[in-house]
Amino acid sequence: MSYITLALAKGRTAKSTITLLENTGIQFKDFHEDSRKLVFYDSDKTIKVVFVKAVDVPTYVEKGAADIGIVGKDNILESQADVYEMLDLKLGKCKFVVAGKIGSTLEKKQKLTIASKYPTIAKKFFQKINQPIETVKLNGSVELAPLIGLADYIVDIVETGNTINENGLTILEEIEDISTRLIVNKASFATKSDNIRQFINRLKSVLE
Amino acid sequence: MQPYVIDANNGSSVEDFQIRENLITTLKNRFTTYGYKQVRTSTFEYYDLYSTISGTVNKDEMIKVIDSGGKVLVLRPDVTIPITRMIALNKQHLSDNLRLFYMLDVFRQSVEQADEKESTQAGIEYFGENKPEVDSEVIMLAIHTLKDLDFSNFKIEMGHAGFFKELISQTTLSQAEIDQLQILIQSKNIVEMEPFLTSLSINEDVKKAIQMIPLLYGDPAHVIQQAKDIILNDEMEVLLQNLIEVYEVIKDYGVEDSIVFNFGLINNMNYYSGIIFQGFVANVGKPVLMGGRYDNLGEQYGTGMPAIGFAFEVDLLLHALNQQGLSDDQNPSVDMIIYYEKLKQREALSTAFRLREAGYQVLTSLSDTNNTASPTYIVSYEENQNQFLLNGKKTEFSSYADLYELLRDEKGEVT
Repeated sequence: MSYITLALAKGRTAKSTITLLENTGIQFKDFHEDSRKLVFYDSDKTIKVVFVKAVDVPTYVEKGAADIGIVGKDNILESQADVYEMLDLKLGKCKFVVAGKIGSTLEKKQKLTIASKYPTIAKKFFQKINQPIETVKLNGSVELAPLIGLADYIVDIVETGNTINENGLTILEEIEDISTRLIVNKASFATKSDNIRQFINRLKSVLE
Repeated sequence: MQPYVIDANNGSSVEDFQIRENLITTLKNRFTTYGYKQVRTSTFEYYDLYSTISGTVNKDEMIKVIDSGGKVLVLRPDVTIPITRMIALNKQHLSDNLRLFYMLDVFRQSVEQADEKESTQAGIEYFGENKPEVDSEVIMLAIHTLKDLDFSNFKIEMGHAGFFKELISQTTLSQAEIDQLQILIQSKNIVEMEPFLTSLSINEDVKKAIQMIPLLYGDPAHVIQQAKDIILNDEMEVLLQNLIEVYEVIKDYGVEDSIVFNFGLINNMNYYSGIIFQGFVANVGKPVLMGGRYDNLGEQYGTGMPAIGFAFEVDLLLHALNQQGLSDDQNPSVDMIIYYEKLKQREALSTAFRLREAGYQVLTSLSDTNNTASPTYIVSYEENQNQFLLNGKKTEFSSYADLYELLRDEKGEVT
């Protein structure tokens, strides 16, 4: 009997997804929050769960190392993975925004410098509004960039906007809403169609 | 010294090449049994051949070179277009059905896959009639080939290029909106499709039909039933009927288990006009084969003619074979090594020559040289005796005839 492999983003997403799955009756007895194990099976051994870094989930799914992945839309967009995106779990809701120093507006200049953890998304957005940009890829504390003069604006995720405000920045433009999504490998959807659709339907039923 | 290693996985080692050759031979043999004949096209094509036909290969992805006359050429980015041109320009060929196949490298570059500029395509093209029997035979050939390769779990997704085009023709969407819609359908992103469709001004029926498209997936009988709900006009009815007819013939080949319907299948190659399909094997995210019917492409060269074809991505197939452990190269390095002492050189070399004539792979080696190859048989010509060694068992022999006899016996036992 073949099982389906599910890649989960480590951390908050994993915890809430496991809770969600347990609501559908799929039990993960050996899963504990503090466990360092990276691979789990459910009690029926029909689902194998692997915990990977959130940014890697789309890669695992696109390459077929996992059949299904559950991860934030931000990482799906940034990776531009060629996968099916079939369900919105409505968890971890937040949005992509352009932010700048308080009092500033989104000025169109010859060339803007944008700091972000998500250079692809930043590029795409500014391309859409016909604004040439240069991106600076940062891996954390992105809010600092405009204050120090490293960049004109930043593109980042905000949930409430508090972090941004506390650091003297303000939201200038909203790009896109994001939340946790379920993605599926295209070959798996063809070759394990029944198993995967059953899994999705189970999840759907507890979401409604 | 700079090593200048190109980062491509093109199987440059001897073992990789052997596996690749075996795969290509399997494909060739199967294509041949369906009556296909091999052709090739030029590596260089005029840039204008591709740039004048809309919706084919992305212009940025083509690798361009400039010839001594200043003309822009591209390295063959696709094979279907040059073959179609070749056939359309030689109309005398068209009296009969033409079945052609090719094993050719195609060249494309993209920012995302900067390392993969060349890939090998193994494809077929059928020029002739547009009939369900033809379409199903072509799809059967794809399935038959995948079976030859021993993939335990593979599926062919079938759809119709006309379906989406017909629905779009009912609307007045801009190209940007169509592109966005296409991306959403291709990724089955129903979540974001709903608000997007609501933001567009389209008729309610069409909206409902477009929303259904990604869901029309799976078991053909089931999908056909569901699809009937979104038929808006006679044209769409004809398209659905066409798909059903092809599927009926596939059933008579007895391979319907390998077929799923996917109405959300939209090929980025715009020239497809009829049935389109793609093949997946387990755990490989990209389709290993793509194809479809393209009846109108020939018109670009003055001769419209029904045609259908598909191509395997050989590198993806290799990757899949490796992943599933199906690519073990079972052949030992050579059949035989003949060790000899200088005294017996004439006899040993004559034996080697005769065995090679008989088709054996034979290495010869002076007794005092070391040899790392691991042959099936070892023969040694020593001063006083000649020995034949197999699986640790030694047998003496006197003449070539004796040796040949021993080999024949051995073969007989195996088979």
